[in-house]
Order: sequence, then structure tokens, then C-alpha cells
Amino acid sequence: MITIDNLNLHYDKTSSYNTGKNIGKKKASTQVIFDLSLTINEGEKVAIIGPSGAGKSSLLHHLYGSLQGRAALCSQRQGLVDNLSIYHNVFMGALARHHWLYNLINLIKPFKQNLNDITALCQQLELDQPLEKKVDKLSGGQRQRVALARALYQQQEIFIGDEPFSALDPLMTSRLLETVLAQHNSVIMVMHDRELAMTAFDRVIALDKGRLVLDSKQQSINLQQITQLFQTSAVA
Amino acid sequence: MNTLIKLIALCALTISLLVSSNASATTFTFTAIPDEDESQLRTRFEKVALYLEQKLGVKVKYVPVKSYSAAVTAFRNNQVQLAWFGGLSGVQARRLVPGSQAIAQGYEDQFFKSYFIAHHSTNLTMTDSFPDINQKTFTFGSKGSTSGRLMPQYYIEQYLQKKPQQAFKRVGFSGDHSRTIAQVQSGVYQVGAVNYKVWETALARGKIDTNKVSVIWETPAYPDYQWTIRAGVDTEFGKGFADKVQAVLLNMNDPELLNSFPRSSFVNATNKDFEPVLTVAKKIGLID
Amino acid sequence: MPQLQPMKNTDYPLGYWQKVTLSIWLIALVILPFADIEIVNFDPFLELSLMTQGLMAPDFFATEYLFQAIIQTVNFAIIGVCLGLILGAPLALIYQHPIVSGCCSFLRAIHEIFWALLFLQVFGLSPMTGILAIAIPFAATFARVFHDIINQSSDRPLESIDSRADIISRYTYGKIAQVLPQLMAYTRYRFECALRSSAVLGFIGMPTLGFYMETAFKQGNYNEGAALLMIFVAIIGTIRYWCPPKLLGVYLVIACVTLVEIPAVDSSLLVRFISQDILPPAFANAASFAEVQWYSLYTWFSDIITGQAIPGAIATITLALLALAATHFITLNAHALASKHLCPVPLTWLGQLMLLIGRCVPEYILAFIFLMLLGPSMLPAIIALAIHNGCVIAYLAVRQNNAIAPQQMQISKFNQFNYHIMPSIYPNIMALMFYRFEIIVRETAVFGILGIMTLGFYIDSSFSEIRYSNALVLITCTALLNVVIDIFSRRLLKLPQTSLASC
Repeated sequence: MITIDNLNLHYDKTSSYNTGKNIGKKKASTQVIFDLSLTINEGEKVAIIGPSGAGKSSLLHHLYGSLQGRAALCSQRQGLVDNLSIYHNVFMGALARHHWLYNLINLIKPFKQNLNDITALCQQLELDQPLEKKVDKLSGGQRQRVALARALYQQQEIFIGDEPFSALDPLMTSRLLETVLAQHNSVIMVMHDRELAMTAFDRVIALDKGRLVLDSKQQSINLQQITQLFQTSAVA
Repeated sequence: MNTLIKLIALCALTISLLVSSNASATTFTFTAIPDEDESQLRTRFEKVALYLEQKLGVKVKYVPVKSYSAAVTAFRNNQVQLAWFGGLSGVQARRLVPGSQAIAQGYEDQFFKSYFIAHHSTNLTMTDSFPDINQKTFTFGSKGSTSGRLMPQYYIEQYLQKKPQQAFKRVGFSGDHSRTIAQVQSGVYQVGAVNYKVWETALARGKIDTNKVSVIWETPAYPDYQWTIRAGVDTEFGKGFADKVQAVLLNMNDPELLNSFPRSSFVNATNKDFEPVLTVAKKIGLID
Repeated sequence: MPQLQPMKNTDYPLGYWQKVTLSIWLIALVILPFADIEIVNFDPFLELSLMTQGLMAPDFFATEYLFQAIIQTVNFAIIGVCLGLILGAPLALIYQHPIVSGCCSFLRAIHEIFWALLFLQVFGLSPMTGILAIAIPFAATFARVFHDIINQSSDRPLESIDSRADIISRYTYGKIAQVLPQLMAYTRYRFECALRSSAVLGFIGMPTLGFYMETAFKQGNYNEGAALLMIFVAIIGTIRYWCPPKLLGVYLVIACVTLVEIPAVDSSLLVRFISQDILPPAFANAASFAEVQWYSLYTWFSDIITGQAIPGAIATITLALLALAATHFITLNAHALASKHLCPVPLTWLGQLMLLIGRCVPEYILAFIFLMLLGPSMLPAIIALAIHNGCVIAYLAVRQNNAIAPQQMQISKFNQFNYHIMPSIYPNIMALMFYRFEIIVRETAVFGILGIMTLGFYIDSSFSEIRYSNALVLITCTALLNVVIDIFSRRLLKLPQTSLASC
């Protein structure tokens, strides 16, 4: 599905994006990914773990950029539009499926079909809020599920998630993770919960300081190794 | 860039839709700005319109305007076919629409004049010779006025041999004869030029404190306000229409109607009567 | 007793806004001796007493067709704003293009009155003239401010939208939806401005309140004038009660229905205007291109530039700079008076009323009143500009600072105001002021009609002498001057973009 070879990424201070292009040219940027090579196959469910600052989000955004058009992204930054309702935020996932005129009319007067679909989707995600509620009135966990619903509503074959359940309780997390895994052919997800990553995904890769340190496809790994990784990182 | 071109095309389309071809004027429209008391314009001049409508047998409408130049523009664009112009604006209008005719003037307009008025602090008093107003502050009336601007400026240039801007310490345009009186009376300007009829009326109504402001000079007589009818009304409203309008105006003797202008009666006029105005306007550079 | 060590010279550099404030006043002080601000009036009391009498006994029945005038004032404003939105909002999306922003700033720089005078030649005294005179500069303003507002929105929602979606959908959902409340608030504020412009267009003959207002003041009918002003202030002060955003569509329909009839437009007038009126006399008089007298064209042009444009521009800039300093003064005082953080609540109502009156009364009328009191120098214009713009800025600043939560500290209101409110609001006030500077330059034009020798004076003269080609050259000079000032002030100050949104 995707192969990356000797990837170097730089974090550019002036923009929020990670740029893979101007390697070593900008003085204001710091390198976040070092010589990373990775192949992800069709149908794989991959969890990315690693201590904070390891370059997980940068890698994820790079993958999303390379998979443009095939993948749905559920970013840590959510990118919800505060002035719009839950319904419209979720509907944003479907913008590409409709003509712009349809989308504009829907902004003023929601279409029945979409309302039904989104109601069902929200129920599935245990989001029991009225659809017309503005998202700035929601709690952190509720907002996260709206962002998740939007990504699901894109109905792509690949799901890319950056800690999409960080604000949810463990039980709900595992229920929703099940939904996400069931609805997508391939999943690449940064996970906070190491145990869940080990149990629910086919493959786990770990990053540390911008380098790939563990890959369950290459070697068998266990929880201990990972815990150790996090401890050394915390000391350093 | 493509979006830009589309936008421009859209705008052009809208404008071209709005701009439909030729205007039709089935109603006979006129405008008038009286030299004094511009309040209640429509109420007063709609009575004149009614009078004209009864006598002419066509629909007549009055359009209020704010300035002489607006009146000239409306006349030129055939939005009005008849106008009560000042001397200068009449000349301008007839130059812009060749074939237009001055058909009547107020009785007083045959020998109109302007007064120069001065604040008491200048110690200037009524004289027959041109007063010494060098380096005073001076206000005209409206920029397009004959009695408030054109003629006074002409005599200033004649007697002082200087442009007003050089002759005076400060030159202003009050915009209106009543304003000129008020400004000189309150000392905003030391000297001003004003339509004599406006001055006389204000004086009669007790609006002027003669201890503060007085007339110091009067200009020689010149022709001023007149009715001008547009070229081509005969084809639009029937042969002999211009003559008919002229007759109706000359026969207007209801004091209530005449007071709107305000004139005692209307007398015959021709384009030739206003040649002195044109000459003066050319001399001071208001008309090329 | 031990000798105290002399303190080291503690350096405390001036802050950015302190420097800016100081330079505004420094510039004003430097040009003050060259400006004409003489007070010449011997007997202001007679006129003053007449005005006071008028204010005490307003005559609401002196104006003919008053109701029609009110309706037309509102109609022009509503249709003008809507048309401005239709034209300006799409431009906001491509405003970053230098050609677009250049054109917009050029269009903005021309005062509504001059637009109206130009359209008057083509459309005559038709509502089209008034509506377009409002719509065109408003469209250019909408383009700029909407662009600024949209730029402030976050790019994050765009990240999560499928890149295959079309640009219109992505933009409306991902960007515009974020800032819709700001866009609506700004549109509402512009509606207030449009009402003012609509009234001002009456001064040159549009059938709005200004038509009667100007006549009343010019003829000294202060009872009528005071009544008209009161009506006008009341209309603007109560916008939010009679024109909630939801009803705007309804009002638009009503406005189109009740608009005075639009006479058919004669396309030949447009052709004549373009092919004849606005051509320099050397072209207009020549039968063919070969006959054009280039020398006379040159003298014509250089006469306008040296005799009118340059002196006019100098007066315009002088007036604008002095007015800027005076505006600063008025803003700070008026703002303090209406701020709930400083004054007890009943007093702020009074302050709010003052701000309302100050921003509603057209500058032309203000200058007119001060002209009668202070004489015909630049002073009345400076005061009028300062009062009007100061009140507008103070009004916007008060709206912002009332949203600031007071600090939980045991300090007096006065100290709280100076140490908490003012520091947080001051950059916004200054940004608003520099935005208004462009408007001040524009508005100096209006005083030309009153006789102050700005560029507007010469433009007005050209129109009254029916020399449209001269007028066009001078209008172009005015617009270019504004564009230059705009570029210059932006470069010099590197204005923070964020605070412009609310102005």
C-alpha cells in the first residue's frame, strides 16, 4: 500500500505542517524524523506508539499526505468548526461526495438522507447530543467523537487516527476502536494505550526520537520492551 | 485568474442589462431652484406643475434638484425639458444642448444686480465707487451662481485687476445667499457678495441686523434667471409646443405661483439677452 | 550616614505603541504652524443662540415628504449594502492578488459623493446613482475586511476535509463557517455606515434625509434641521430593534418594491460620458487623432496638477494628519466616558448616547456648525473629523472593552482602567485609528464642498463648472493619494492584522 524509504522530516516553525521537502535548508526548522523506512501493506491494522515528541504525529501526517484521496484523517487537533453544529461538522466528511451546490444548500437546510445517516453514526459512537448543537458547547470527549464521526463519515478504506480516543474512558475506547477497525480495510493509528495497541492491532511500531525502534513485523515484541523504551526516554 | 475574468464578465453583463437603450419622456418634466427659500420645494413647485399641466394638456412633473450643476446635467440628459436656470447655468445648459431656447425671464431679471455686503468691523460704508476690499476675507455664494459668484468675481477682477485668490486674504463659497448674509453678519467673513433680492427680502423680514452688516456697493445691472426649454420638445410634444409653453409662462399671474420663484411676473426673453453673461463667464475662465 | 550609591541609569525603552502615539502628536505639532487654523469670528453668539433655539424646539413637521425621505434613506442603504456584498464578498477570496487589492483600494478611496456625482452624469437623478455610489466603495471595503477576517480563521478544519472535495465546499465549510459571526457583525456595522452615506448623498440631490437636512441648515432653519438630525440619530440608534439580521431579506424585498421608480437608462449617455465628457478638451475638440494639440493637452494637464492637485493634496494631508491627532484625543476621552469599567452605569448611558450622536451626525453638518462658530479655517473640519471618527472608534472600543472581565484585584476603578483595560484595548484602538485614517483622508473631500481647499474643493468646482475631465483627473489623484497613504502606513506600521476585524 505504501512504502517509505529513508524519510527525513523537518518541523518548520513558521507553518504548522511538517515539510519533507527542504531538507537541511531551513535554519529555523528542527529535524523530527531520521532515515525512517517503512512498508505498510493493504489490509494491515498498524498502531504507532512512542513517547511524546517521538515524531508520531509528523509521521502520521506524512503518511496521510502520501495517501491523499484514499485515507480519512482523524487528527489530534480535531479541526472542528466551532460555529457549526454537530451535524455540519460530521457532514464535512462527505463534502467530496456531493456537488458544491448540494453542499451549500445543505449548509442552510440539511437534507433528510444525511440527517438519518449522521444520526445513526452518532448513535453508534454513543454521542447522545442533539445534532443542531454547536460544537463549541460540547465537552472534550464529545468533541473528539464528533471528529471521529467526521472521519468515519468520509467512508474511506484507510483510516488514519492520531490518538482519536485520548479523552475517552477505557471501556468506550475499546468499543469505538472496534467500530473503527471493523469499518476500514486498513488502519494506521497513533495509540496512547500500549496494552490496547498490543491486543487490538495486527502490527505495532514504536518510534523514539524520530527513529523506528521496534516493529512487530520484524521482531516479536512484548509489553516489557515497550515499557522499557518509555522509561529510558523519560530519563533522557 | 480565471475566476477574475469570469467575475469581470459577470459585472459587464449586469451593467449591460441595466443599461437599456434610449429613455422615453412622455411626461413633460421641469426643474427649478429659487434664489431664496429652498424649503418645501416640492410642495410649492408641484402647484406650478399642476398649473402647467392644466394649461398645456400634457402630464407635467417637477423634479427637485440641489444645485445648478445638477439642474444643467438633468437638462442635458433630457431628464428635464424645461428649467428655471440662473444666468450662468442657463448659458451652460444652452451650450450643451444646442437649439435650446431661453423663453421667459422674471421681470426683475432684466436688470438684476448683486450687493457687496460688509461686517461693521471693516468700517466700510455704502459708496458709488468700487470699495477698497483688498486683503479682506471674502465669501461668494454658490460656485455656480450668477449673482453670488459670476458677476461679483467679474467686477472684482475688473476693479482690483487680480484674481480673487490674490486679492483677498481668504476666499470662501458659502453655497447659498442666505448663508452669505449669515456668515458676514456673524463676522465669519468680512465681505460678501449676495443676490439683491435675497437681501431685500431678508431685510424686510427683519432677519438682518443692520448694525452688524450693511450694503457697501451694488453692481451694475445684468440679466439673470430665465426659463430655458430644451431643443426637440416640438417633435416630442407636438409642433408649436415651445411657443405654447412660453405663452403659458408669460401668462402666469397667480401671485401664489409667482411667489415660489419669487418674481412679480414673467416677461419675454431670448438667447441673445444672455450674451453678456456668456462674455463675462468666458472672461473669468468659467467657460472655455 | 553612608553615601548612597548613585543609581545606575535605568533604561526603560519606549514601547511600540508609545512610539506610534508620540509620533502622531509630533507630526501634528510640526505641521501645526503651517496649517490654517485661525479663529476668525466676531459675533458667533447670534448664530449660536439661533442654533440652540432650534435644538430646543425641533420642528418635526417642517419637512415635506418626510416619511418618503426616511424610507428612501433606508432603501438606498439596504440595497447598496446587499449589492456591495454580492460584488465584494467574492472579491475577498481573491483579494491577495495585487491587482485586485490595488483596484479595491482605488475604488475605496473615492468618496461616495464623488461616485454619485459621476453616476449622476450617466443615470441622472435616478436611484441607480445613489445605490451604485454606495455599493461600489462598499464592495471594495467588504473585499478587504472580509479577506482580513477570513485570513484569521484556522486552517485546521481544511486538513481533515477530503482533498477531493471541490474548492467551494471546502472553503465554505472549512474557512468561512468559522468566521461567519464576525462577517455578520461587520456587515451589520457597515449597514449603519450605509445609512450615513445614504443620508450624505442627499446633499447632492438624492431624495434622502440629507436633501432636506442640508437645505434646512443652509437656510438657517435650525428647528427643522434639529428635528431631522434627531430623526436620523434615532434611526441609527435603533437599528438592532427594527432590522434584526433575520429580517434583512424581507427588508430587501420591501426596499426594492418601495424604491422610487428607476427611469430607463439611456445608454447613449454612458457612451457620451466615456467618449466625450471625460476626455481632456484637447481630445474632445479635435476631429481626428491627428489633430490633437499635444501642447494644449500638456498645458491643460500640468495646470490641473500644479494649480489644483498639488495644493489640494497638501491641504488634504495637512488636514488629515491634524485630524488624526485630534481623533486620538477625542477617542481616548470619549472611550473613557462610556466605559463601564470607569464610570458608574447611568453615566455610561449618557456616554453611549454621546457616542451615538457623535457618530451619526454627518461630518458635513458638524463642520457647518463649527464654521459658523469658529470661522472658515481648517479648524471646523478638524474638529468635525475628530468628533465623528473619535466617536466611531470609541464606540467600537467600548464594545470590545465591555467584554473584558474586570480583574479580581483590590484596586480603584481608575487604576483598574489605566492598568488593565487600557493596556489591553490600546493596540486595538490604535489599529482602528490607522484604519480610519484612510477614511479621514477620504472624508476631507466632503469639506471641499464646504469651501476648505482640499482636493474635494477642486473636484466640486470642476463639477459645478461642468468640466468632467478635470474632475476625473482630480478624482484619480485623490484615489492615488489614498492608495499611496494606505501602502505607506501599512509598511511603516506593520499593522497587526488581528484587530482590524472589528472595525
